[in-house]
Amino acid sequence: MNINTVYIKLMGTLCLGIGLVVIVFLSAEKAVQRNNAFTRRYPPHPLNRLYELNLGFNSYYIAGFEGDDVYLGNHTAPRHLLQINLITKDTSHLKIGFQTKNLPFRNLRTALYPPHFFIMDGTSPFILRGEIGEWIAKPWIKDAGYFLKAVPIDSNKIYISTVSTVLRRTVLGLLKKKDKPKLELNPDLLTPQIDGMFDSDGTLLFNGDSKTLGYAYLYRNELLIINPELNLIKKLKTIDTITTAQIHLAIDSIDHTSQLKAPPLVVNKAAVFYGDLALVHSPRLGKNEPAHMLQEAAIIDVYNWRKDTYEFSFYIHNSENGSVKKFQLHDTWLVALMGKSISVYQLEPSFFRPHVSKTK
Amino acid sequence: MRLSNRTRFWLPYAISILCAILFIYAATSKLWDFQEFKVQLGQSPVLTAYAEWMAWLVPLTEYVLAVLLLIDSTRQKALFGFLGLMTMFTTYILIVLNFSDYVPCSCGGVLENMGWTEHLVFNLFFVALAIIAILQLDSRPIHNSTLS
Repeated sequence: MNINTVYIKLMGTLCLGIGLVVIVFLSAEKAVQRNNAFTRRYPPHPLNRLYELNLGFNSYYIAGFEGDDVYLGNHTAPRHLLQINLITKDTSHLKIGFQTKNLPFRNLRTALYPPHFFIMDGTSPFILRGEIGEWIAKPWIKDAGYFLKAVPIDSNKIYISTVSTVLRRTVLGLLKKKDKPKLELNPDLLTPQIDGMFDSDGTLLFNGDSKTLGYAYLYRNELLIINPELNLIKKLKTIDTITTAQIHLAIDSIDHTSQLKAPPLVVNKAAVFYGDLALVHSPRLGKNEPAHMLQEAAIIDVYNWRKDTYEFSFYIHNSENGSVKKFQLHDTWLVALMGKSISVYQLEPSFFRPHVSKTK
Repeated sequence: MRLSNRTRFWLPYAISILCAILFIYAATSKLWDFQEFKVQLGQSPVLTAYAEWMAWLVPLTEYVLAVLLLIDSTRQKALFGFLGLMTMFTTYILIVLNFSDYVPCSCGGVLENMGWTEHLVFNLFFVALAIIAILQLDSRPIHNSTLS
């Protein structure tokens, strides 16, 4: 073989290798998550951006609100809280003191329910509670069991999702403490579709004003509205049309654990309540929506759960610091965490009538 | 390349063994935890649709090439095959790193602990080795005939 042939062959091999992968990549370029079965309405300016603060870290999450303050917890520094006054933008760093030592934990999270704050893990069965302002976490429940997600809904009540060991699927429950801790589960709330674990994954919702609980399935177009006694009030369909979770599972033949074996189709990425409204972050495009918006913003659909209606949609635009991770509404604000920063928006009262049905 | 004739003679052989070891190791670690490998391939932003048969194809190809690399008569063809496959892996890494929404990993064994950038350097190193081996193997017969 003369020297030219070998160079040609080398170039050929390299080009073929690169070419093949590029072709596979281009052909697999995922079909845009579009569904022509629904059309969104985007009214002008349902909310106005006030400001953005750079936090320096992307590990913050929203722990809760009190008055004009938002409190951010930090995944990597679980004893640390960042308090931000939404009006003055004053920030202060708080440190939580622990009254117990050497707690085994993997995923500590702080959640506020004024005047208390709770520290929970889920992989360890303890819950700590303390008072806002004092910031000392004291042992509250020692054997709470394990849970997936938890939201405090009262000074002595926590709304959880957990895996039932009897049924081997996800169920919703309430963890209460009067004198003794007590766990109440209602296995009828969630409807299993495939394995009852992955397919029922979702977000816990809570509205403090009307004392309503909710659940937004990640992979199907359904929201559950639940009363504080853990009974179903109603099921609400979102504008999307995915009724059955589209996930593919790989079940291990030996220990029967399951794993997602293909990227799942997410319908309700996140959801929150605000008065009678339910806001759902949807990663899917409707009819006539420009595809580039999926890269540039989070699409939020607003429903009135009391009236069973779809109201409107709006965008939360990503900042240069990253895309929208979490958002919450409080008072007349919408607070969104994106990458390393927090963005604060003012809600337009004509769109967001707050506290319409305050039932006390 | 200015190398002694002795080195010239042994270099392609040594490189082939190294490449064969890499592929045997890579393929074995994939099959060792085959379930996991298949799941990770499926989570890839590009390969979901092909995950099922590609999970078999990749380690099998690696084994076959490793064997061919160790046989004298097929070494040159196998080196081209090795080069082609490594080029594909490297291109895949580059595309996933730069053009994809999220970055999963489906490498086995120690390679799992490498970052994507180290992985890229590692791959490019083997691509370079394969090219050197091919060039040496190609120019050798002429020298051999004049020498011996």
